[in-house]
Amino acid sequence: MHEEIIHTNNTSKEKQNYTMLELGSTPAYGWPAFKQVVKRSLSRELFVGLWLTIKEMGKTLFLGGKHTTQYPFEKLPISPRYRAIHNMLRLLESGHYRCIGCGLCEKICISNCIAMETRYDENQRKEVSEYTINFGRCIYCGYCAEVCPELAIVHGGRYETASEQRASFSLFDDMLTPIDVLKQQQEFAGFGSVSPNADAAIKKTPLAY
Amino acid sequence: MDIRENRAQKINVTIDGKVCEATTDDTILRIARKNGVYIPTMCYLSKVEPIASCRMCVVEVEGVEGAILSCQARATDGAVITTKSSNLHKQRQNIMKLYNVNHPLECGVCDKSGECDLQNKTLEFGVNTQSFTAKDMSRPVENWGFVSYDPALCIMCEKCVRVANEITGNEALQISTGGYKSSIVNVKKDFNDASLGESAAVCPVGALVSTDFKYTSNSWELDKIPATCAHCSSGCSLYYEVKNDKIYRVTNDFEFRSLCGAGRFGFDFANENTSKDNEAFHKAITAFREADTITFSSHITNEEALILQKLKEKYNYRLVCDEAYGYQQFLKAFGSVSGESLYGANLESLSNSKGIIVLGGRINDDNPMVKYHITMASKRNRARVAYMHPIEDSNISNIVTQFIKYEVGSEEGVAALLANALLQDKELPQGLRDFLNDLDIGNISAESNIGEEELAALVQSLDKKEGFTLVIGSDLYNHPRAVQIAKLIGAIQKYSSFDVLLVPPFTNALGVALICTLDEKVGNYTVGYNAVGDFELSCLGEGDLDMPALNQQEGTFTTIDKRVVPTNVASSYNGYVLNDIANALDLKSIYTIDYTSKLPVKAGFKAMAFDELPFGFDIAGVEHRGYLLVSKPIKAIEIFEEIEEIPAYDGAIIYRCNLNGQFGMLSNRTKALKQDEIYLKGSVQFAIVSKISDGDEVEYIVDGIKYKRIFKLDSSLKGTIALHQNYDMGLSSTLVSSYRFSHLTLEQ
Repeated sequence: MHEEIIHTNNTSKEKQNYTMLELGSTPAYGWPAFKQVVKRSLSRELFVGLWLTIKEMGKTLFLGGKHTTQYPFEKLPISPRYRAIHNMLRLLESGHYRCIGCGLCEKICISNCIAMETRYDENQRKEVSEYTINFGRCIYCGYCAEVCPELAIVHGGRYETASEQRASFSLFDDMLTPIDVLKQQQEFAGFGSVSPNADAAIKKTPLAY
Repeated sequence: MDIRENRAQKINVTIDGKVCEATTDDTILRIARKNGVYIPTMCYLSKVEPIASCRMCVVEVEGVEGAILSCQARATDGAVITTKSSNLHKQRQNIMKLYNVNHPLECGVCDKSGECDLQNKTLEFGVNTQSFTAKDMSRPVENWGFVSYDPALCIMCEKCVRVANEITGNEALQISTGGYKSSIVNVKKDFNDASLGESAAVCPVGALVSTDFKYTSNSWELDKIPATCAHCSSGCSLYYEVKNDKIYRVTNDFEFRSLCGAGRFGFDFANENTSKDNEAFHKAITAFREADTITFSSHITNEEALILQKLKEKYNYRLVCDEAYGYQQFLKAFGSVSGESLYGANLESLSNSKGIIVLGGRINDDNPMVKYHITMASKRNRARVAYMHPIEDSNISNIVTQFIKYEVGSEEGVAALLANALLQDKELPQGLRDFLNDLDIGNISAESNIGEEELAALVQSLDKKEGFTLVIGSDLYNHPRAVQIAKLIGAIQKYSSFDVLLVPPFTNALGVALICTLDEKVGNYTVGYNAVGDFELSCLGEGDLDMPALNQQEGTFTTIDKRVVPTNVASSYNGYVLNDIANALDLKSIYTIDYTSKLPVKAGFKAMAFDELPFGFDIAGVEHRGYLLVSKPIKAIEIFEEIEEIPAYDGAIIYRCNLNGQFGMLSNRTKALKQDEIYLKGSVQFAIVSKISDGDEVEYIVDGIKYKRIFKLDSSLKGTIALHQNYDMGLSSTLVSSYRFSHLTLEQ
């Protein structure tokens, strides 16, 4: 079988619009190069740089201009969309946990790390009796927070996962907002949160009373 | 045969341009479904009569004004039917909107979510706005025991009420009407497990949900294991729903079949935490080498029964199975006259009957499925139901049209009288005719206490009807005169228009009767397989070697419908099984189910491998599960003996009868059905005759086992017969070789 081979020319014929910098000439041999080094080292510019450093050092030491974060005592704020160890939120009004035990997070979890058990409690409500996340398996994909209809499970900013025991973070009560700091609970703005135009998207239904 | 079928004529109708063949007795909806045309419904349930409360199934028929309810309307020849149009769609959409008025948006915590008809149809009809409204009201959740009822979720389709009336028949549920305030009320507080279970199964929304299952799992997380119920001989099809090796609930093809309370709620009888105990296994092998008898319970698969039979053939064991021996002998004697190895009727023919006689069994307690099918016949065909038994049963008074009481022990005479009455004007061979003519009717009537006029009334009530079933219960199988009774029943099967249903007394008793050659008496050293023995293999976890329970095995059962049906493993099992023992005793087979294809063809089985057995229903509701046994012709020998003198059963008598859907060792292991206190129940007369009173502790011996029971007066009972239950006795509950009635001898 005969095959025709076609060569295509990819080089563009258009002229490129480069701007050339005027850097002078680079010394080509020993003596001019030595002169350039001496000139640059002993010019005033060196002391301008040193002065800036001394000035900043003074500011940092005496005027409180320190920029170092004292990790782990201090942590930088991170984006609400950052996906770290999960938080379980509470209802601000009643303090009851928001989770309704629907099991969607367990189902959607692609690394199969969420396990929950629910039961019928005395008040004929659904109660979450067991809830664990295996952080050894979790890949922090955020699907659980996205699927949660109540925004009960969300990603927090706690990115340090060093602990003596793997179970340290993974129980429901550990992830739940402590009841005494309920007022500091932040509304989640990351994956799965209510979109800014949510109000506009609501359809009206009739109310006779 | 169904009369309606006889009258039905063949017609052609056109549904959505598709020409469908049908008969005049079929409704449009049924014709459409059979031909694969989809008509949406909310309240339609195939197994009951059309309810016609939802109006979703409306169709348009050419030349007929207005919409027609396809679930009720029968088709006429040449009808042109349209099931889809923009007008119909709008109507259906409006119905869905009405259903959604104030329906709580709690799908996230609703157990029905994922298998909810309301969810499906709301999405199907694109209901995304609501134009109707009603003032909402407080409707608290009610806990009815086995199920919880949430009126806020209820859409008043009435399916639950219908199944409780038409199928389980105890009329436990009623509608409290009141427009928007309508709700379902539970009027029967006791023994309602079957009705409640059925109603929860058919509930299209989350209004009725099993209390035990409620909020424990979402439906989509559960794996469905197709299996067969292990509790009684009906062998109902069900699905064990499993997650993480735990059975969460039992469901079934509720559109076409039902389950009793034990089948639905009594599923957790698996033998758990077992391991391969080598020491016990070697002891078992030694015991088998030493033994001359294997006793076993008929709670066994066909394959295991075959293994035992093969062991018998190889090592000459005696095979003793109390639960099936009487039945086997009865079936044999029955066949020797009827000329067929199997009886004629099945559950479906029973529910289509117009006349039913129940003889020798407390059918409501013995076999719920038989009772449900009698209920269906009674409610749909207005069938005549004659109930012949020494004890009246108030639980079935709503379906029994004639109660005929006879004396305990007089069953032979009763069978003879019945044969005489039913075969009066039939053509009979001379021998049988002479036998019937020679009967001393007056004497038998007097002894059995059945008036001639009672039987005459029975025969008269069946006049001009067709489709009769005679249901035989387990009182007769272990009767001292069982063989003669069986022959008389065989004659009724052969010469009258009655089809006989010999209700197998226990799970797979029919299978064992067909597969094994049973012996009556035990030898010196017995190995018991789920039965009492010197060395016990037990699925109850208390024997010398653990065995898997029936929901931990794969294999087949033989059901009352003469069907061989598969069952699968729902709960894992890590110990040894019977096949391991058989292999150690030189029967070579890798899996127990290798025996499925080797089941005896001579007895009516087919050489089908386990994996070829189908499971399920087609769209028209025809069951495709396993295969039907083939009845084999037997050479008929009609020799009847003289009726024996009827023994007198005076004084206090007890009747072995497990009440309220308890079936034996398995059901009492389950969380839902376990009873803490088991009573001897009797009437005031019984208390007087036996000189005991309510609350007394009594001790007595039946079948060699000593029972200690508290006596309880039961106002629904009459006469001097008390009901004795043995289901809590573990392996000893399989010792049932004697006649079900016995004298009460109190131990001091």
